[in-house]
Amino acid sequence: MKPIALVLRKDIRTLVRTPVLLAVLFAYPLMIAALLGLVAGYANSKPRVAFVDEDGLPSHLVVGRHRFDVAATIAEVSRNVRLVRLSPEEASRRLDDGNVVAVVTVPPGFVATLQEMVRSPTLQLAVTRGGTSSRVRQQVQALVYSLNRKLQRAYIDANLRYVQLILHGGDGSFLGEQFNVLGLDRTARELRALPQDERVRAIEHFVHDARLALAQTDDALRATAAPIALTELPQRGRSASLSAEVQSYALGLTITFLSLVLAAGALAGERDENVLGRLARGLVSPGRLVAAKVALAAVVATVLGLGVALAFAIVTVVGHAPGGEPWSRLPLLATGLALTGAALGGVGSLIGALAREARTASLVAVLVVLPVVFLGLIPAEIFAAAGWASDALPFAHGVRLFSATLYDLHPWGAVAREAGWLAGLCLVFSLAARAAVRPFRP
Amino acid sequence: MTLLAARGIARRFGHRVALEPTDVELLAGEVVALVGPNGAGKSTLLAILAGALEPSEGTVERPARVGWVPQRPAHYGRLSALENLRLFAALERAPAARADELLELFELPSSTRAADLSVGNRQRLDVALALLASPEVLLLDEPTASLDPAQRARVWEIARGLAASGGGVLVATHHWEELEGKATRTLELVEGRLA
Repeated sequence: MKPIALVLRKDIRTLVRTPVLLAVLFAYPLMIAALLGLVAGYANSKPRVAFVDEDGLPSHLVVGRHRFDVAATIAEVSRNVRLVRLSPEEASRRLDDGNVVAVVTVPPGFVATLQEMVRSPTLQLAVTRGGTSSRVRQQVQALVYSLNRKLQRAYIDANLRYVQLILHGGDGSFLGEQFNVLGLDRTARELRALPQDERVRAIEHFVHDARLALAQTDDALRATAAPIALTELPQRGRSASLSAEVQSYALGLTITFLSLVLAAGALAGERDENVLGRLARGLVSPGRLVAAKVALAAVVATVLGLGVALAFAIVTVVGHAPGGEPWSRLPLLATGLALTGAALGGVGSLIGALAREARTASLVAVLVVLPVVFLGLIPAEIFAAAGWASDALPFAHGVRLFSATLYDLHPWGAVAREAGWLAGLCLVFSLAARAAVRPFRP
Repeated sequence: MTLLAARGIARRFGHRVALEPTDVELLAGEVVALVGPNGAGKSTLLAILAGALEPSEGTVERPARVGWVPQRPAHYGRLSALENLRLFAALERAPAARADELLELFELPSSTRAADLSVGNRQRLDVALALLASPEVLLLDEPTASLDPAQRARVWEIARGLAASGGGVLVATHHWEELEGKATRTLELVEGRLA
């Protein structure tokens, strides 16, 4: 162990003597994380949706004696998507060339069908394939749900008026036809005026039951329209920027960059310094040299990872974020950081062993970092191969380990699983790096 | 007494043969000159004898303590001369005082980063590193190429002193004239073969 410790101490001393390099190595991944955040924000920005009004929607609409503000409803939709009013032909062309991600069409006769309150009018939706189409589809479905909820009261009121007519009688209209209904109340009175016999009593009994039943129609109709009601409680939970997910990704991204680049550069640097031959003379074996670089990555990942975690913790405490900071989990997080750093150090060592010089190794490591991170960001359910590739690399396991370590109520299952993965990956990549270390060449 | 013996050692790098099967012996009290043109395989032979490079075939018997000065500087540029000496002293399990002693002997600045030293000083540092473990055998690969006459004389003085005390020295060079009167024996290497 002593040779490993001596080489590690030498590497740390060298690193501390190059504060600019250390600062760049620390700042660069944070900058990338911020840029990724902006890109993610852009991805979440409003998608462009074409709005084709073939029916000439009025600004206000009356349905079942209820007045609806059509313009306000469209403005509400615009909170989630950017609506662009287009002709049918233009909308179709733009959907084909990807200028808009969806087209919502109000077909001719929509308003008339709605006001009849007999059949459901139809909105038409056409979406592009892949990309944000599923999100747009959900948003349009949410819009239709929202419209239906507003219209539901008008429909229920209209239906209740018919029920009232059946109960109490009076004048009414349906599809433009005027009519007069006797009503159950008047039927009951008429029946009482008739000579009482078995048949009249049976009809009176039915009228009594029907009046009782129809009296319950109001609540029943509302429940039928919305069997499950959703109530939104007052906001709780911390802001997205302090969420467990963001903290885990920030930690993962920072130490992935640091550990990979440092281990790759440090191992290739031994070749640049021409000391491989001197070390190979029984002083430090290639295996121990790789172990020293893995240890370097683990140490730096732990120290700087804890620095990032501490920064989040201070913001959490100062900002009184709900849930507070899980201080008691920091030792476990430190272990996770060390393990993830070691696994990444194994990958970096492999790059350093394969590269001819430190500059090449560092460049390759920088080039490798982003695909490694992006593979870990792609949800496996969207692209399964990305999930498999990501499983073979330490980044995603590290992120899951940090998330479980910091915020899972019962973290041990996830921690054990991800720690097992990371230890295995560390061993595999370190052995590969050991095999790839080229002998000294005079 | 044989201090170092190599039998049938050869080295290939891919398809290129750097050293044909070769036998070399170094006896106690000898200062052997290994001469030959550039690319003859001198550095490869010395690296194999030093244990820095595994031979593709053949065996080497060497004593526990072998000092080796490679042709190109081989130390950490971001560490000072003293830090290099102390690090390798620890790796060689030599006392730390030996590092201070050699720093003084070779008149090296203690705090300057090795990368900022002159070429001559870097070569002196490599010689000092080779002497850390008080070797019985010293393998020198063009050790004086960048040294001034005074330092050159010091290196030869050290080599002769080691041989006189029962050690052995093998020096690779293509400056024949420098070895006149210093070497007890000369080996010539041409295109990977001993002539």
